Formats: sequence, structure tokens, C-alpha cells
Amino acid sequence: MRLKQVLAAGLSIVTLFSLAACGNSNSASSDGKTEITLWHNSTTGDGKAYWQSAADAFMEDHPNVSIKIEPIQNEDMDGKLQTALQDPNSAPDIFMSRGGKKLRDMVEAGQLMDISDKVSDTVKTQMKSALSAESVDGKLYAVPQSVLPGGMWYSQDLFTQAGVSQTPTNWDEFKTAAVQIKDAGITPIALGGKDAWPAAHWWYWFALRECPTKVFDAATTKGDFSDGCWIKAGEDVEELLKLDVFNEGFLTTPAQQGAGSSAGLIANHMASMELMGGWDPGVIRDLTPDGKDLADLGFFPFPAVENGKGDATAVMGGVDALAVGQWAPEEAVEFLNFVSEKDWQEKYAKAFSTIPASKEAQDAVTSPALKGALEAYNNASYVTIWLDTVFGQNVGNALNEGVVNMMAGKGTPQDVVKTIEDAAAKG
Amino acid sequence: MSAAIAGHPTEITQIAKKPKSQRSSDSMRKGIEILILSVPALVMFLGFVVLPVIMAAYYGFFKWKGYGKPSVNGTFVGLDNYKIILTDPNFQQALGHTLLIAVLSLVIQGPLAILFALLLNQKFKGRGIIRTLIFVPYVVSEVIVGTGWGLMLQSTGAVNAVLAKVGITGVDWIADPKAAIWTLMFIISWKYIGFAVILMIAGMQSIPEELYEAARVDGASFWQMQWRITLPLLGSTVRIWAFLSLIGSLQLFDLVYIIWGQYVASTAGTSTMATYMVREGRLAGNYGYGNAVAVVIFVISLVIALTYQHFVLNRDLEGAITGPEKKRNRKHKVSNKRAHARSAAANVSASQAKSSEASLATAPIHEGEVA
Repeated sequence: MRLKQVLAAGLSIVTLFSLAACGNSNSASSDGKTEITLWHNSTTGDGKAYWQSAADAFMEDHPNVSIKIEPIQNEDMDGKLQTALQDPNSAPDIFMSRGGKKLRDMVEAGQLMDISDKVSDTVKTQMKSALSAESVDGKLYAVPQSVLPGGMWYSQDLFTQAGVSQTPTNWDEFKTAAVQIKDAGITPIALGGKDAWPAAHWWYWFALRECPTKVFDAATTKGDFSDGCWIKAGEDVEELLKLDVFNEGFLTTPAQQGAGSSAGLIANHMASMELMGGWDPGVIRDLTPDGKDLADLGFFPFPAVENGKGDATAVMGGVDALAVGQWAPEEAVEFLNFVSEKDWQEKYAKAFSTIPASKEAQDAVTSPALKGALEAYNNASYVTIWLDTVFGQNVGNALNEGVVNMMAGKGTPQDVVKTIEDAAAKG
Repeated sequence: MSAAIAGHPTEITQIAKKPKSQRSSDSMRKGIEILILSVPALVMFLGFVVLPVIMAAYYGFFKWKGYGKPSVNGTFVGLDNYKIILTDPNFQQALGHTLLIAVLSLVIQGPLAILFALLLNQKFKGRGIIRTLIFVPYVVSEVIVGTGWGLMLQSTGAVNAVLAKVGITGVDWIADPKAAIWTLMFIISWKYIGFAVILMIAGMQSIPEELYEAARVDGASFWQMQWRITLPLLGSTVRIWAFLSLIGSLQLFDLVYIIWGQYVASTAGTSTMATYMVREGRLAGNYGYGNAVAVVIFVISLVIALTYQHFVLNRDLEGAITGPEKKRNRKHKVSNKRAHARSAAANVSASQAKSSEASLATAPIHEGEVA
């Protein structure tokens, strides 16, 4: 009788787990084709269409390959990816990477394929300047798609309306211009503080201008923030805050969602400028009343800071790239080589209104704003990726929150640096 | 209730003195029956409640980024994570906010809900519509409530625009650290009071009309009747509602996360334990640390819930607890005495009050237990 009980219990457990185990593996499909899954973050419009057409073209050349494209909402990407990567059977073969500490974490967990010797010469030569952002210890793990240098995006019409004829090149000129715009009854600077990172970008840029390159590197590699220039960066932000030149309620303004967001304020001529990365023209385009590029959008580099020990031409930006899972078939790298060629990179630039990673394809950039950003990027003597990406989510998020706290009047420039040190203990 | 009924057949079989072999095969059959019927539920409970708790406790001992396995890609740090959590001022603040929200929810919603229920329990025109209206916010999803209020309460939003028309300059309801927690309390009260009111109305409707009639004959005024009859007999409903409200407050996450975003909650002073866990665990990519936070929240919630059950819900739970028959009887006697005392105060016959309270006490508890 005891046996029967055990059998019954066993049976119910087996039933349950066999139901749960109905997942499928994705590496080889039933018709003998090699299957590749790709996760990217363009869920709408031209960007989504671009990936589908690239996959279709590749499959036409390679009839034995089938590429499955899965667009994932940007904010969901990190969490879904983290879960999916736990099991090679459910993990995508190609997926988005922004480099930095997170790429290193994945590499250290043995989840990425070393593609240093597998990428084509086109990738190696034409994307050279962006490769370091996607490399860990000298080995390449992802193929860059676009470079996204940051800086000030502004409305030429509103600047003219306020009587600002020349874009500011240094900190004093910048403050004068901002106050002049404010006096003309226009909101000078839009800021999406709800998402924290847009507010923190101000701090990053001031740090880039205040800190010598050596100090900057010491912080990013060793986590050494003892130099006084880090506190100086916070003081610069405070100084700007005192001028009252940000949009009203910037702490609860999102960066990219809807007309009330900071990008929306620019798109609808409700504010004259914002500090953002190279994706901004595309985001603004989607938020204009007619959904077309903002005609009078311009760009100028982040102004130089007097007595700053940092490089005045240094640029901070992002690199959007596609990484390859350690379990992916060889054809996955082939596909990345395929889309790195000039004509596909040119199409990418158009679809996303951005700067392609391939140097040869950068002629496809036509809008004056993006051209300005590209020029600043090519003239830069020092290029780094966003500080929160460099430090990884843990320290990066704490840093972002520390800056927001300071801007809300709940902390000092010293507290921002202390936040970074506190967060390091948790990770 | 069901447990008490299930207890009877065994006693009957024992009393009936059947032959030994038949008796043992009977109880065996019953054992198998219970086993088969309970295994699916048990597997779900173990797999989705107990196992995750154990796993979280295990992960909580590591510094781990969520990639690979904690034993390989993480570092074992023992109780370090817990030390950091308990000394982190951000967590202490989040805990403070959570407890404040729990207490304020009870203090604000309780009296209001009883008053609303008193009003809506009277017969008047349009009562159905008002009952529905007051319940609507509870049905609307948290995301919609959060987005809606978030947009209206922005410093450039609709609320301040209306206030400006009457000559009042409104503050930044969401970002101002002095105002934010009260804004949150307002939204929580608005959203959840409907549920409290419905519970109270249900409780009031199961109070027998005869009690009021008897009181009226004795010349009691309206407020005397509410104070001496309604409130005492509503006791068990209030205790259950308070329990559900407490648990809801401890778990509060969605409203805060949607209105204040991923980062600004702690700046504005509205962070809760749950938003702290998501921010420090998932968003910061510290999965080991996040799991440790989850364990801390689990322990805090468990202690509060068990304490409340033991000291406050104690008398309501009898009958729902299966135990030796004698013990149950003794407890019943105690509660009978209490019921007698109270019904004397209400100036009505003891038996009526006892039966009404008993039915009140048992019905909602089973719901609560299921939830």
C-alpha cells in the first residue's frame, strides 16, 4: 500500500514537470536549417523594418540559415537577457550590447564568444575607433552598429529668437546664453530627471572637463575617486542649478516618453536645448507633431570649463553593438559581418537617424545636427563611453541617483562621491 | 469550517467499533485520497513558494551579478550582504516609509471607510451608483492610476493649473520631499478605500436588523446604535481588513514605481522596501544583494503578520484551526463569555448576539486565509 502512495505522488510530480518541460531548443530546427535568434531593441517603425530586411537579404544568400528576429522593449532588455542567458537553449545567439562593465560580467561568466579572429576586415578597419568599447582584455566580443557621441542638441530657431547668435564654446558663454534665453521667456534647458541618467550626464560631462585623462582612467579602472576634480564636477552642476535654467519640474520629467518628456519639449519647441547622446535626433523625430525630423535641430559640443584640467575636445558617448553568445553557430558572426558592409550601415544610419559605426558609411549622415556631432567625435583626442556604462549598473545607478539627490537639494557634491564608494560595497 | 467537518468521520468510525482490518483499510484509503488530492497543490506550493525562499536565502550569501552560477561567478560573503542592508541608511529610510504608510493607511482609511459604509448602508436614492463609484478606483489597474495621477500632479500638471485659477500656487506634489509622502498617502487612500468600504458594508449587513429594532424600542439614538451595536459587531471585519491592509502596505511597489520612476522615489522620500529591493537588486545588477534584501523583507513581513495573527486575529481564527476537540471546546467557552458580555452591553438577548458574531467571525477569515 505504501508503494501505491509513493507511485501516486511520483506520478503527479512527473506530470507536472513534463508539462513544464515543454520548451524547445533553438539551435537546429526540424528542416535541417541553422537557426539564429537575434534580440534588438527597436520595437517600432523604420528600425524594426531595417532588421527584418537585413535578415531577409542574408537568408536569400544563405538558404540553409533561418534568422529569427525578436524586438524587445529597451527597458525590458536587461532583465530578459539576464534570465535568458542562464540557459543556452533559450538564449538568443545575437543580442544588444553597450559595452562597459556589463560586457565584462558576461565575458567572465563565459557567456560570450571571442570573435576577434572571426570578424571581417571591414569590421576591423572601418569600425576601428568603436572597437575598444566592445573589447575586454584586448579581445573583441561584439560588433558595433552605431556610435552615439553626446553633446548639446538645440533649436536654432529658439536661439535666434532669444538673440543668441553663436553657440557657446566655453562655460561663461554658456551661462550667459542660458540666462539670455530664460529672459526671453523660453525654457533654456530640458532635463529628464525622472530617469536619473539624463541628470547624471551633466555631472559626467563636467567631470570629463574637470579631470585630467589620467585621473579619469584611474577612476574607471581602479575605482579611485580621491581627486578633487570629482567634487568640482558636482559644484559645477550646483552652479548651473542656481541659475534656474532647467524646465519646471525636471525631477519628474521623463527623458523620452511623450510630449512632456525632455526630448518632447525640444521636439515641440517648448525648451531650447538638452544634453543627450547621439540617439537624440531619432527620438526627437518621433515626438515632433508631424513625426518628421526637427528642421532647425542643431548641435554644439559640451563647452570647455575654465581652469578645467580635462581635455576640452574629449567626447563621451555610447556604442550600440551586437554581441554573440558563446553557443551561437558560426553563421551568426557571418551575419554580423554581412550587416557591417557599407550599404547596410548606410541603411542603418537612415533607419535610426544616427551615426553608423562604419567610417565609410558615415557619408550617409546628412542632417546638420548629426554632422556636428560626428565632427566633434572625429576631432576628439579622447573618447570614453558613458560613465554609468563604464562602472556597470551597480556603481552607475548609485552615481545617477546621487546626482539626482544633489539636484533635489538632498546632498552635496561630496555626497555624490561617497555614494559611489558605498555602492561598490554591495556588488 | 471545512476542517472541522473533515474531522468528524474519523471519530464516528472509531466510535462504531468496526472490525480491525476494515478499519485500517478505511483509513488507508482515506490517506491515499488526501495524498492524491493534495499533491498538486503541495507541489505548486513547494515549487513556487518554499523553493524560491530557500533559493533566495542561498543566493543572499553571495556577491553575484546574475550571470552564470553564484558558486562559480560570484563570491561567497557569508552575512556581509545582511550587514550592509541593515546599516544602509537608504534601506532604513525605505523601511521607515513602509511602516509609516502601513500605519497611516490604517489611521486614514479605517475611520473614513466606516463612515462611508454607514452612509451607504442607509437607504437613499442613487445608493447603487455611489457604491459603484467608490469601488471603481479599486478595480482600476495600478499602472493606470499611477500614470493618471502622476501626470495630473506634476508641477505643470492639471491640479496646479486648477489651483492657479483660484489663486493658489501649488507645490511640486511629486518631487517635493515634504509633500511627496502625503501625495502618495492621498493616492493610496483614494485607490484602496473602496475595498475597505465594501468589506464594512458586508459586515454591517450581516448584523441582524432585530438588534437595531430592539435598541430603537429602548429609545437609543442613531449614534448610540452605531456606537453600541454596529462598531462592536463589526470588530472581526475591521480586524481582517486591517490585516489585509497591513500586508498590502508591506508589499507596496507598483504605485510608487510608476509615479516616481526607477530612481527618484528615495530622493522624494517615498521609497518602500520593495522598490529598494528592485533598485538595488535588479536595476543595479546585484542579484546576490537583491536576494538578501528579499529575505529581509520576507522575515519582516512574516514577523509582523504572525504577531498580528497571534495577538489580534487570535479569537477570529478559532474554528479555522484544527486541533484536539477538547481544546476547541474550551476556547469556545471563553468566546461565549465574551459574546455574552458584549451582548449585554448591547442590551439584547445573548444567544442572538452569539450566533451573529460567530457567523461574522468565520466567514471572512476563510477568505483571508485563501488570499
